[in-house]
Amino acid sequence: MPKRIDFTRSLVLGLGGLIAFLGLWYGLSASGIVPPLFLPTPFEVLDRFIDLLDRRFAGATLPAHLAASFERFAYGFLLAAIVGIPLGLLMGWFRILDEIVSPIFDGLRFIAPIAWVPFAALWFGTGIGGPILIIFAGAFPPCVINAYRGAKFVDPRLIEAANMLGTPNRRVITEILLPASVPSIISGLRVSAGLGWQSLVGAELIVASTGVGYMMVQGQANLSTTTVMSGMIAIGLVGLALDTALRFAERLIERRRGMET
Amino acid sequence: MPRRLQIGGATILVLVILWYLSTTVFGLIAPGRFPSPQATIDALGHVLFRGYAGGTLIEHIFNSLRLVILGFLVAVATGVPLGLLMGWNRTAEALINPVFLIIRPIPPLAWIPLAILWLGLGDSAKILVIWFAAFVPSVINTYAGVRTIEKPVLEAAAMLGTPRLRFIREVLVPASSPMIFTGLRLSLQASWTTLVAAELVGAFYGLGRVLNVAQQDLYPGMILVGMIAVAILGWATTKALGKLEMRALSWNQAAALAGRG
Amino acid sequence: MGVIRFDNVGRVFGSKAKPFVALKDINLEVSNKEFVAIVGPSGCGKTTCLRLVAGFDFPSSGRVLVDETEIRRPRPERAVVFQQFALFPWKTVYANIELGLRNQNVARAEREDRIRQILELMNLEPYRDHFPHQLSGGMQQRVAIARAYVLDPEVLLMDEPFGALDAQTRVVMQEELVRLARRNPRTVLFITHAVEEAVYLADRVAIMTRAPGRIKEVLDVRSIREAEKWDSYEKIEDVMDLESFVHLRTHIWRSLREEKAAAAA
Repeated sequence: MPKRIDFTRSLVLGLGGLIAFLGLWYGLSASGIVPPLFLPTPFEVLDRFIDLLDRRFAGATLPAHLAASFERFAYGFLLAAIVGIPLGLLMGWFRILDEIVSPIFDGLRFIAPIAWVPFAALWFGTGIGGPILIIFAGAFPPCVINAYRGAKFVDPRLIEAANMLGTPNRRVITEILLPASVPSIISGLRVSAGLGWQSLVGAELIVASTGVGYMMVQGQANLSTTTVMSGMIAIGLVGLALDTALRFAERLIERRRGMET
Repeated sequence: MPRRLQIGGATILVLVILWYLSTTVFGLIAPGRFPSPQATIDALGHVLFRGYAGGTLIEHIFNSLRLVILGFLVAVATGVPLGLLMGWNRTAEALINPVFLIIRPIPPLAWIPLAILWLGLGDSAKILVIWFAAFVPSVINTYAGVRTIEKPVLEAAAMLGTPRLRFIREVLVPASSPMIFTGLRLSLQASWTTLVAAELVGAFYGLGRVLNVAQQDLYPGMILVGMIAVAILGWATTKALGKLEMRALSWNQAAALAGRG
Repeated sequence: MGVIRFDNVGRVFGSKAKPFVALKDINLEVSNKEFVAIVGPSGCGKTTCLRLVAGFDFPSSGRVLVDETEIRRPRPERAVVFQQFALFPWKTVYANIELGLRNQNVARAEREDRIRQILELMNLEPYRDHFPHQLSGGMQQRVAIARAYVLDPEVLLMDEPFGALDAQTRVVMQEELVRLARRNPRTVLFITHAVEEAVYLADRVAIMTRAPGRIKEVLDVRSIREAEKWDSYEKIEDVMDLESFVHLRTHIWRSLREEKAAAAA
């Protein structure tokens, strides 16, 4: 059995691990083993991050780049949810739709979202339309799959119970099938947000002219490692916030359903 | 032939006919936006026999596949042991987890500019970035796999006096292997996405390079060929991993069922 | 040898601020080749007793000794049969039984020999190459018992081994265990909440109470069984009909119920 260790000890160890990590990083950089141009110290990165909060780089400040990224993300993600969830539900409820859409969907699923970049640029340009398509390509499949699973694998006894109680069909959908698939849909949204956010970064690295990804590419071209790392931190923070928010929603629903583990 | 296959086949057939009609017969879609079947076949012939973007299709495929497999293997060879260690040893977990929590939210693609800055456009940068991308899912799922082992199984191994190495090989690894394979699948997906993105950002060969050049040349036929090639390779490697999983987990009824379904 | 001795054992879980006394002043001796069952309501700490002997857990006070040696860690000499079977699902029946022998560096030929014997004894030969999930619950528990017995342990620890089985299978397994235990006696510590099971199987029955877990009473079943010749009956239901059996069972029920009433008051 893994031996239990108490809370203070794990806190000390955790802090120790962090300090060792940052110390190693600092040591490699400050001692010149790795040229500072390639690996700046943690302090230099932090400095640059704060600096970028109100200094323009690649046309905008870091918050402005983030806002541009987030706008694209929000559109792509919402579009994926609005199209994907109903599609998934309908596929789960109506077998014929499942059988028609599934082969197309399975084919498209194996195209890495990022491979849509050339068509996205060709069809919608590099402003906001192109990146939205790529985010959509990343965020769409989990929405569909989880809504489908949620709709398909409803406990048949619930439906039988509803039928036994003489529930009309429309009410079976709104009061049994839909609520039963909510937990699965929410977890789908969480996966979807993660993949969408990641696809956005990829899209911006390649085609955009604003956004954090673009800022990082410019940083790379200017050999500004601190800028690249600041971008990574910003992307990580936003991704973390998104995930935390959706995880919170997931927990909330699980708790209300008494599904806590 | 099962009904599912019939309807699926019919759907694909209808789509291909629609594609042909709308591009070639009625000219509803401009050839500069989406290629006709003929243009796609021409592009395929072009890259297959005469070569495009610095090589023939086979050469590009070989190059991309080689990098994905190399990066994936490096990630798995480092990620799975680390996950086992973190799952089993509380001290290691407490030490490493905080560092991991910081690195984890950074999407794999966000490492691309840094990797290019460090190592340029060659193979080593691609392998580095695939490693970063595929490492995280391997670690997390292995770690979770160890944690979900039922306590009596561990106690039974202890009671039978199982020595450490044998315990790792015959109890710890097989008991967590269903989750380890989930991690490997996610790692493989991440490897492909990352490689294509990295090649799109900058490369000398590879399918991403084909997509990139085709986009600049406004060559829709070639874009489609590139996308289909990426999808087929992603599908084939996933299938190969699935075969391996079925074989390794033949003892696991749930996994066998999931693999079949 | 295989003498288990609980010497004033206490076990406290939880934090210093909110302690939970699971066991208090446990004193019990199980002599060599004796079959002792502990019965009690769920949460009374009977499984904790077993885990202390197994070496999965350690007392907060007092000592648990096997052959006058304090227990430091799990050992194959103290084999455990778990309620959830705890078979290795990725190993065949044969490989499951073999692992303990391999760990003791028993030579291959001897391993094969011993496993063949135990498979035969437990009516498991047709299943030697099956995986656990291909077997019924009763069969799986047979494999778990075989895995423990094949090690020829001094002490056999059984933690509600039939608790997860359906009533019919349970009866069959009880009869088989009696046969096995009489033919091949071991020191057995058997945990159960089923009163009949305890009376049917054990030489002595220890009755435990809850919060804190204490041993209230220890009953000698063996003298009654031998006097009334229970073992001459092949079927469990014949034994359960005997007046002596009914009397013992009722006594234990009453004793447990008094506890419940006391706890409720």
